[in-house]
Amino acid sequence: MRDKRHPSLSWALVVGVLALLPFVTPGTYVTGVMCFVALYATLACGMAVLLEQAGLFSLAHPTFFGLGAYVAGMLAANEILPPWAGIIVAAIVVALIAYLIGAPLLRLRGYYLACATFGLLFIVEIVLAQSGSITGGHDGLMGIPPLSVFGFTLGGDLDYYFISWGLCLGCVWFFSNLMKSRVGRAVKALHDSEVAASSVGINVPRCKLHVFVLTAIMASLAGSIFCFYLQFTTPSMFGFPLLTELFTMIVIGGPATLHGPVLGSVVLIWLREAIHVYLKDVLPKLTAEVDAVFFGILIVAILIFMPEGLAGSLDRLAHFVRRHLGRSS
Amino acid sequence: MADHPNSVLLDLKDVSRSFAGIRALSLVSFSVERGTILSLIGPNGAGKSTLINVITGVYAPHSGVIDFEGENIAGRTADVVASKGIARTFQLEELFGSMTVLENAMTGCNGKSRSGMFSCGFALPAARREEERIRQEAIESLALVGLEERAFEPISRLPLGERKLVGIARALCTKPTLLMLDEPAGGLAAHEAERLVSLIHLLLEKGLTILLVEHNMPFVMSLSDKIVVLEAGVKIAEGIPEAVRNNPRVIKAYLGQEQ
Amino acid sequence: MTLLSETVQYAISGVTAGSIYAVIGICWSVVYLITKVLNFTTGEFVMLGGMLTWAFHRLGFGLLPSVFFAVACTTAISMLLERFVIRPIRFPTEMTYMMITIASASVIKGLVLLQWGSESRRIEPFFGTGVIHILGAGVTSQVLCVVALMSLITLSLHLFLNHTLMGTALRASAINLTGARLIGIDVGKFRLFCFGLAGGLGAVTGIVTAPITFTGYEIGMLTGLKGLVAAIAGGWSMTGTVAAGLTLGLLEGFGAGFVSTGLKDVLALLVMILFLILRTISLPGMRKR
Repeated sequence: MRDKRHPSLSWALVVGVLALLPFVTPGTYVTGVMCFVALYATLACGMAVLLEQAGLFSLAHPTFFGLGAYVAGMLAANEILPPWAGIIVAAIVVALIAYLIGAPLLRLRGYYLACATFGLLFIVEIVLAQSGSITGGHDGLMGIPPLSVFGFTLGGDLDYYFISWGLCLGCVWFFSNLMKSRVGRAVKALHDSEVAASSVGINVPRCKLHVFVLTAIMASLAGSIFCFYLQFTTPSMFGFPLLTELFTMIVIGGPATLHGPVLGSVVLIWLREAIHVYLKDVLPKLTAEVDAVFFGILIVAILIFMPEGLAGSLDRLAHFVRRHLGRSS
Repeated sequence: MADHPNSVLLDLKDVSRSFAGIRALSLVSFSVERGTILSLIGPNGAGKSTLINVITGVYAPHSGVIDFEGENIAGRTADVVASKGIARTFQLEELFGSMTVLENAMTGCNGKSRSGMFSCGFALPAARREEERIRQEAIESLALVGLEERAFEPISRLPLGERKLVGIARALCTKPTLLMLDEPAGGLAAHEAERLVSLIHLLLEKGLTILLVEHNMPFVMSLSDKIVVLEAGVKIAEGIPEAVRNNPRVIKAYLGQEQ
Repeated sequence: MTLLSETVQYAISGVTAGSIYAVIGICWSVVYLITKVLNFTTGEFVMLGGMLTWAFHRLGFGLLPSVFFAVACTTAISMLLERFVIRPIRFPTEMTYMMITIASASVIKGLVLLQWGSESRRIEPFFGTGVIHILGAGVTSQVLCVVALMSLITLSLHLFLNHTLMGTALRASAINLTGARLIGIDVGKFRLFCFGLAGGLGAVTGIVTAPITFTGYEIGMLTGLKGLVAAIAGGWSMTGTVAAGLTLGLLEGFGAGFVSTGLKDVLALLVMILFLILRTISLPGMRKR
């Protein structure tokens, strides 16, 4: 209703470009990087819904992502379950953890949820690093088999490219449907005024919990695919630097939209690639913590100078162009 | 019971509530009859808004019984009370500022719709049908209050008087039996207040029961079937408008307050 | 070692850590109460204090001048952060505050890593290396002096807040910022002051602990979080934070001693989550909303 353009047209455009991309770019480099873009975008998308639409400060999304990766990875590496079943089990485990954490803590306002989930972020990272016998400790989990479904082994970058983007676009589509529906209105309503939301029959605690658990499941799915793609995970992949990266994606993209975080993810991952390519001679050790310096500066700059983010600014630009074209014709 | 025109819809018995040891409501009892309009008046700080908040479940009463359609709803959470058929507006509007007028009204249908997260997210046919029904109901409510042309405008662009009407439309979308209006005429211009009066008459004709909290005396006196007067959390008078107007305790309470 | 001497040893390390957490907790609450910013860079100031002292000392400055420069630099950085990063935010909400302080913490941490590498650094003890024996447990004079210094800091802050005009004005603006502005308090200056105070105090704690526990680029966030645990559990009040900090330190001391050193850090964070969960449970009938 607010959007008078044809959403199906822009969807078709995006899907078309993404489907053609691996075939028009040389080698597998672009395809491989775009896998990360898709998975990070899935993660950022859920977190943006939570932060901006529902006003719930969850800092534990890297953790849900990491748990999804570790649970699925460990089940598959130890040959307890086939990879596809591991993905489902991981999602259930993560949903349960999110439920147990969320049920009491979502009653608290603002900062306290942030503190508790931030604590969870560190707890999980430390526990994963300390329980070396089952998780591989600091050195990481090795021996994760590639994803296989009913005997078909999915090995190449191209397979993961389509799986990752399938998941990402699926999530964006799901959330955009959801946010336009009664559930989405309830989520926005409780962010605007809890007392008014409950006065029209919305069960505020349950609604918060549902979207919290939902986004945690999305993060877990992305994490599981991430681990099968890399076939390797370390605890530090899901710690504090990832949180900074997520914030960067969300503020670059502008959190008020759903395509924003995807855009943010494209920018962030390619920026990271650029940093690694051009600065590898200048800076000796390019760890995630060094990348975080650039991203941190970017966050600060955007929050001060461009608070609506890229998506917001692009929308404004499009609006401006359309208005002027409309006037001249 | 529904056939009985004058049966009691809402019945309060000895409802009390205090905040940090200060009694905001003390043993308040009265009843609202089906299809009538009862007004709650009293000087500032008399506990009128607290009483509305206690009935709708924003606060739990510390003691007392709140009977609605023969069921004690005291201490139930606000969303449960809303689902029983009590709707309300707010003194300070409390509209959903990030939405359009229509979306605000559609949110009012939330308690009466059932589509779950997954059917909404995957846009299943059932969810889409329900969405269409919700939209129709919301548009009907907006038409009732006369705002259907402004349906697609963001809330922030509406003047105060129309925002109050959006609040009423949103409340109507919950399909209530009892509608509580918290100072609906506050800050309205004369022609807007007239529009409100005719709307309230229309709602009564449709069979709604209305509980009104209001400061505007001519407005209250012309509309009400019964008036309850609160002062410092205590009911000091109850009766038809003429009786309340001439009640010496009421006059004293208001004059002492220079209202 | 006997059980008694072991217990005493753990208690001593617990009290030492606890006094540090209490002061860091005060850094969080001073900033939070006045500016409503939950300042996630607090821990990085602790780290900066230690690392800057080490760096200045390596450049050839004496220990005392290094300490002085480190505290001064950290205070200045903290104030610059407030003035040029946090204050100019276009839409100041809890979320943007949180994002921007977490981003700043990443920047500080990464820059320290780039400049001084990832090795643990150690500063020589300032207060001598003598060892005193209490009930069979050894206490270095550094540890004793740390506890004394932290007590002194807390006490002087308490006196400052309750018995000076500036302190009273600070407490007033913590309660009602608009009111404070109306009676002519320059809130901007107060915000700067609070950030400066938090930065300086954080640096001091980082410096005095560096000889005991080493310092390194990555210690900031976790140390800072433990201070936050103390502040939250203490209800943002000074006495509460001190009590909670000491309890946390003791818990950690015994936990590390009797259970596992590796999971010591988890304990504090679990305490925080459990505490926050307990806060949400109210007795029936106490429902406010």
